[in-house]
Amino acid sequence: MKSVMLYALSTCPFCKMAKRFFESRNIPYNFVDVDLLPEEEKEKTVAEVQRISGRRAFPVIVIGEEVIVGYDELRIREALEK
Amino acid sequence: MTSERMLCPVCQVAFLLKEEKVPGKRVVCPVCGAVLTLTEENGSWVLRRPKDMSPEEEIRTRVENFARLRGYHFNEMKEPLIEALLKKYERYGDFYCPCKIDNIPENVCPCLETRQGSVERNGRCHCGLFWK
Ligand code: SF4
Ligand SMILES: [Zn+2]
Repeated sequence: MKSVMLYALSTCPFCKMAKRFFESRNIPYNFVDVDLLPEEEKEKTVAEVQRISGRRAFPVIVIGEEVIVGYDELRIREALEK
Repeated sequence: MTSERMLCPVCQVAFLLKEEKVPGKRVVCPVCGAVLTLTEENGSWVLRRPKDMSPEEEIRTRVENFARLRGYHFNEMKEPLIEALLKKYERYGDFYCPCKIDNIPENVCPCLETRQGSVERNGRCHCGLFWK
């Protein structure tokens, strides 16, 4: 099984949809609600998100080696199957 | 009646106001859809955010105006996003984009990338509030 990491904001509906996607299919995943992190950790995590996605917008989903910017179900499915 | 360039306090873009100026008059920003109130301050006319609207009324009217101005549509994501925008307002003092970490003026909804045509390019705005 590939590792799945979801960078999210607690206010972002597409982030919630991504959580639901993994949960409803029993796909193990890690996530972090970046806006709820303590300040120092938040900055580090946002910098990481910006490094891998080029943006400061959410969700960003990392499946194995692949980085998916925004909620794109088709790309999530393909990345999981690859 | 003279037309005058007025600055929108929401999107910071100046536009030409051709209507007759009456204190307290409602004006809609043609760029971002914000509902504004015409106010006279120290002898000159300025536009201010409406004081007599609840935050919810203000953001609902703004996004509906913006969608109408651009010919965009909403779907079932609208209500969760209105709620999220209100949460941002509560936490950070303005209607900052629910899907962006930076609570800065260019991310006030409708955000700069949306005003600059991201819906045309991607079929929807980043959060999924406005759809082509
Ligand atoms: S991405 Fe959409 S919902 Fe988010 S601020 Fe921009 S216009 Fe508003
Ligand atoms: Zn405006």
